[in-house]
Amino acid sequence: MNILVKHLKTEVKKHAFDYLLFFTAGVVFLMGLNIFRGERLLEFIILLSFVSFYIIWGIYHHIIEDSLHLKIVLEYILIGFAILFLIKVLIFPF
Amino acid sequence: MKQIIDTVHHFFIPRHTNNFTAKLLHHDFLTIYLIVAILFGAGIKHMQQSGNILGYATDVTVQKLYELTNAERSKINLNTLNYNDELAAAARQKAQDMFAKDYWSHYGPEGETPWQFILASGYQYEYAGENLAKNFMFSDGVVKAWLDSTTHRDNLLRKEYSDVGFAVVNGVLNGEETTLVVQMFGKPLYANDTVAGGTPKPEAEKVVAQKPNIVEQPAAKPIVSEVLAYDATPQQSSFFSTYLNINMVFFAMLMIALILDFYFAAKLNLIRVRGKNLIHFLFLGFIAIGAFIIIQGSIT
Repeated sequence: MNILVKHLKTEVKKHAFDYLLFFTAGVVFLMGLNIFRGERLLEFIILLSFVSFYIIWGIYHHIIEDSLHLKIVLEYILIGFAILFLIKVLIFPF
Repeated sequence: MKQIIDTVHHFFIPRHTNNFTAKLLHHDFLTIYLIVAILFGAGIKHMQQSGNILGYATDVTVQKLYELTNAERSKINLNTLNYNDELAAAARQKAQDMFAKDYWSHYGPEGETPWQFILASGYQYEYAGENLAKNFMFSDGVVKAWLDSTTHRDNLLRKEYSDVGFAVVNGVLNGEETTLVVQMFGKPLYANDTVAGGTPKPEAEKVVAQKPNIVEQPAAKPIVSEVLAYDATPQQSSFFSTYLNINMVFFAMLMIALILDFYFAAKLNLIRVRGKNLIHFLFLGFIAIGAFIIIQGSIT
């Protein structure tokens, strides 16, 4: 467990701005969903924006870290879109 | 037993058999998740079109709403409400009117009031009230949202009521597929006062209606919408609750794989060409919380 905490701390300290940016975007995402509760189209737009931000964040972060690779971009895209399609069913249940 | 443990390790823990990345996080598995998610969405649409999901968009049912409403009243020793077909018909008419005239409020763009729907259904009331909700996924979410709002809570727990009627109607509102829930309360005019714990009181000469808050209305747009379904007979449907449970299990599995992968990669000092587990984990966490907000609709 110590190893996990130590590595988490190191990772967050090393890229504090990046993680803070993502965390802020996440909070804005939740606030947006809460404000527009029941408005299906807006909920979907907010979700799509957050998924897009996640993918862009991944690309940006790995460029900064000088570790960008096509496999990494694909990983973010696959996770992002899998989640998008799963949650879309909850937003548009018709 | 050893084989099962080996398989679990293979899926969750980075080691030589999975090229030092948890198998559940490999690209081939991620691609499978994406394909399954797309097929799920397409399958649900197909099943709805072929009528296999009862034609309902959500798991909101009259039966459950009725049970939950009475359960909440019972908690504070109020009389339970009788299900009234006339109030249910009024609720249905109200929902259909909102779809037809494209408004989402207690009062219509042409001055329609909830009370005229109740009277038109043949129910002569002494007391009447109305609660509205839209785009909820589950019945308990609807009742919880009403209880969390002071005006709706007061309406739901008003001791004067003796009858209730519900309508769960799907249609197109403001260009969006919408599930409306209309709850109509009433006490018939000249009815015997059977309120639990209350003392009999003289019959009122004047019709009194509890009017909920008025919400400002947009200009009337005469859009005729197709009413896809209405829940006229109490039924149970658990499709979306099963879907939500499957999603939760999937999210939990992925998050466990991310934590274990991160932990063992750190422990073994692995250097890999991979995305950041921490950000995947955060992303899934935010989405999971967001999903719970999404299944809550809005009330008025």
